[in-house]
Amino acid sequence: MIAPRLTADIDRPLFLTTILLALIGIAFVFSATAMQTAQVEHGLYLKQFLWLGLALAGAAATAAVPYRIYEGKTAWLLYAIALLLLALTLVIGHVGLGAQRWLGWGPLKFQPSEIAKIAVVLVLASMLAAKRIDLTHLPTLFKTLLAAAVPFLLVLKQPDLGTSLCFIMVVLTMLYWAGLPMLYLFLLLSPILNGVLSFYLPAWILFALVLAFVLYRSRLRLWTVVLVVVVNLAVGIATPHVWNHLEPYQKQRISTFLDPSADPYGAGYQIIQSKIAIGSGGVTGKGFMHGTQKGLEFLPEQHTDFIFSVVGEETGFLGAAFVTVLYMVLILRGVRIARRARNRFGSLLAIGLTAVFLYHVLVNVCMTVGLAPVTGLPLPLLSYGGTSLLTSFLQIGLIQNVAMRWREY
Amino acid sequence: MAYEIEPRHQARRREQIFTIGVASVFGLLILQLFSLQVLQGDKYGELSEENRIRVEVLTAPRGEIRDRKGRLLADNVPSFTVTIDPFDKVYVHDPALLDSTIARVSRIVGLDPEVAFDKVKRERTQSFLAIRLKRNLDLASVAYIAEHRAELPGVEVEAEPLRRYPLGPFASHLLGYVGEVSDKELEDPKFASTYLRGDLIGRMGIERQYEKILRGVDGKRFVEVNALGRKADLLGDRQPILPKRGEDITLSIDLDLQRAAEEAFQPGARGAVVAMDPRTGAVLALVSKPNYDPNEFSTGITQARWEELSQGGNYPLFNRAIQASYPPGSTLKPFVALAGLSLRAISPMTVFSDPCYGYYQFGRRRFGCWDHEGHGWTSLRSAVAHSCDVYFYQLGLRIGLDRLSTFMKNLGVMEKTGIDLPQERRGLFASPAWYDKHYGAGRWSKGLILNLAIGQGESSLTPVKLAQLTCVIASGGTLWKPHILEKVSRDGRDDRSAMPRADSLETHLDFASKDMTAVRDAMVAVVADGTGYQAKVDSIIVAGKTGTAQNPHGQDHALFICFAPASHPEIAIAVMVENAGHGSTAAAPVAQKVMQAYFHPAPPDSSGKVKTQTVASRSGT
Repeated sequence: MIAPRLTADIDRPLFLTTILLALIGIAFVFSATAMQTAQVEHGLYLKQFLWLGLALAGAAATAAVPYRIYEGKTAWLLYAIALLLLALTLVIGHVGLGAQRWLGWGPLKFQPSEIAKIAVVLVLASMLAAKRIDLTHLPTLFKTLLAAAVPFLLVLKQPDLGTSLCFIMVVLTMLYWAGLPMLYLFLLLSPILNGVLSFYLPAWILFALVLAFVLYRSRLRLWTVVLVVVVNLAVGIATPHVWNHLEPYQKQRISTFLDPSADPYGAGYQIIQSKIAIGSGGVTGKGFMHGTQKGLEFLPEQHTDFIFSVVGEETGFLGAAFVTVLYMVLILRGVRIARRARNRFGSLLAIGLTAVFLYHVLVNVCMTVGLAPVTGLPLPLLSYGGTSLLTSFLQIGLIQNVAMRWREY
Repeated sequence: MAYEIEPRHQARRREQIFTIGVASVFGLLILQLFSLQVLQGDKYGELSEENRIRVEVLTAPRGEIRDRKGRLLADNVPSFTVTIDPFDKVYVHDPALLDSTIARVSRIVGLDPEVAFDKVKRERTQSFLAIRLKRNLDLASVAYIAEHRAELPGVEVEAEPLRRYPLGPFASHLLGYVGEVSDKELEDPKFASTYLRGDLIGRMGIERQYEKILRGVDGKRFVEVNALGRKADLLGDRQPILPKRGEDITLSIDLDLQRAAEEAFQPGARGAVVAMDPRTGAVLALVSKPNYDPNEFSTGITQARWEELSQGGNYPLFNRAIQASYPPGSTLKPFVALAGLSLRAISPMTVFSDPCYGYYQFGRRRFGCWDHEGHGWTSLRSAVAHSCDVYFYQLGLRIGLDRLSTFMKNLGVMEKTGIDLPQERRGLFASPAWYDKHYGAGRWSKGLILNLAIGQGESSLTPVKLAQLTCVIASGGTLWKPHILEKVSRDGRDDRSAMPRADSLETHLDFASKDMTAVRDAMVAVVADGTGYQAKVDSIIVAGKTGTAQNPHGQDHALFICFAPASHPEIAIAVMVENAGHGSTAAAPVAQKVMQAYFHPAPPDSSGKVKTQTVASRSGT
């Protein structure tokens, strides 16, 4: 049982924002699917209610068991299972939105990438929590990166660029939190920047100068500098060549991959309609259940991926900003919990899970307000979707777990 | 005691950096919300209340198809398509109104309302695009819809390129046609990601085979439509994506030969002609009769008309040149002769012990010769020239079924030719293994070889295969993969990168030249003083072979193969006319007309006359 002293340390702001967001979510799932013309069943909000009950139980369970049992072997076991499921998805997964993302038996479907995210955070936290770890030691650094790279590639292959980038975000956040100097983060990212900038010569020259300056001032070991320079040169020279040698259809495929709104299925139309929905909400909104855009069927995912546009239309700037602030509070509480935890594994666990949350919220909300391409990522806690809600609550449960046991070393 | 590898103040500093980062990103989000909802709230409010945003597809024109001399076989003309946007604001508030609008538009354009309801219901779930109700609208309907646009919300008339085949039914099987992509095709991952319901796709023929090259890429733009008409690209959010025209294709077909071959058929006759260049393997003409008019499909064909075409007695959609196989009859004899010579079963001078009395006695069975008068003692040359069955019965027995079927297999008789057209069928030449499998081991008579040796029984070939085999003799041993695509070009410039990768087109078969010469000489005799006299062409020596295939279902099929000039062949032809009787009288004249067009083309002024004829026939469709 959880000792009374522990429950006293449950993070109340985090608890309240989580519950509030989940309830707001159910309300707007109800609103989005209540329309006469809606193409989905009308009782979805009831289902979501049942899932919420299950999710709360799950969160309580994950919070109750001391988080340190996840460290080490358990983390790696979960990680192995997650990778296996991801591989299985590629072979026998259900195709949705042109990508194989789902695995399931009968009516029960779930995305193994949801499990993989938690597993990767656990494994990275275990690795980085090691005593006297020196992240500037390159083999150690690369081992850590590899742990995130494998699920990243498996998810990329589905193909689901949106979800796969989450792993990159998580590993970089956790490396920084574990003490990797900014300089190294910059050097890690430099080949990617290099590849992108190599298409525009002035920007590339500027980048090369900055990189050279940074390397000169860095006082790094010589062979580290050589490695960075060689990799950067190789990427910089190869990228335009590779690009030019691609067949037109391959280029097209990559462009669509990076910007799905360029596809012929009218994803760009979704963004415009989403912006119209949010914008037409004005300051105070059209009122709950009184949105007009949502019934257009223009968003088959209006109760899932585009739930935020329904919130924006019906509650206006006040409501949308309120929800945004709730997410911000939730994430900042996560950061606070990570900082306060005395145990290094717990601290890393909390920051990793918070990074997963932050990534999803940003990608989804940016999409609905037209700042990011359509990626098909749900908004955690708000979007309809049982397994998504459940995994969100499991993550919150783990963060609370760390919060409750912050005193423990 | 636990460890602490870094001082607490560093953790606090990182928390500060994180907090500032997170707060500024969320601040940016709130700023964007402020911009959308407070600053531009009125504009978006208006857009959501009054105006209708829609995605307009800019249909890419398909590439043009031309013959080897640059004459147009397929192009595009501007046309009007009526579309409806089921996501129009009005219909969201009042779904019942949608049905009444669809019904009204259907009445105006002459469409079955049930078909239209069904189309809208199926297509609305796939995309947000307006749905095409009918293509190729007549001007009266266009005018009527424009006048009543206020009463027809969401209904638009859009300009779209329409596929046109200026020569009407000419070369219909070769070209194929275009039609709306079917649900079954959309299940195919090959098409699922690039086609939307209502899109056109090539069907049959060149249109299907080279769909990828011809199709191009559709563009799209966002337009704002209001009660006064339309203002394009008003949102400025996204640049229109311009359509990319499909690439043009030049075929190896020679329209003059194609025309000569098609006109050689009597009206209502069924059959096929394939003409090839034995020096290159290029297809010069490919005819299947009866034809259909591919223009009918471009505008959306009615169910009734479709059934009439696909099931009505003559099966006009069936490409007899590549999809139908027939017993080759006596046209197989030159190949059996070649087998006998190259297997050293006979020499050109060999005369069999039994003369032709009009029949051949095999055990207790009598096998008749087509000529009941009999041919007496014959050598190879006169046996081929007069198509003596009795000679070939004995030749077949001497070669034996094993060796003959292996020879035919090596000649590629059992395989597809690999012509660049979809849905080709393969041929058959039975082997002992085949008989064992189909009749049971040992349960078939050795006498079957007699029928096989004269091209009857368990032997059947498509006309294109027959043409390919004729090229083997004409070229002295080259088995060509027949090909129709000559080149791909964009804006008049060749585009080699778009050409399909060519695996080797030719397979060289090893034959002694004296054996080849013997067979060729025999085929020359067929036309010079044998059964193929109706294929004679002025000043050209033609080598040929007639064939009459027994048909258990009706009158015999007439066949003819030939090549010319015999000494250095430039053209090889296979002709098949269904239920027309003798090859010598029904098929040879067709080949003769094609060769006439090739060797002695009509002077230019008379071809002008033909042109006006086709224009007249087009206006009739």
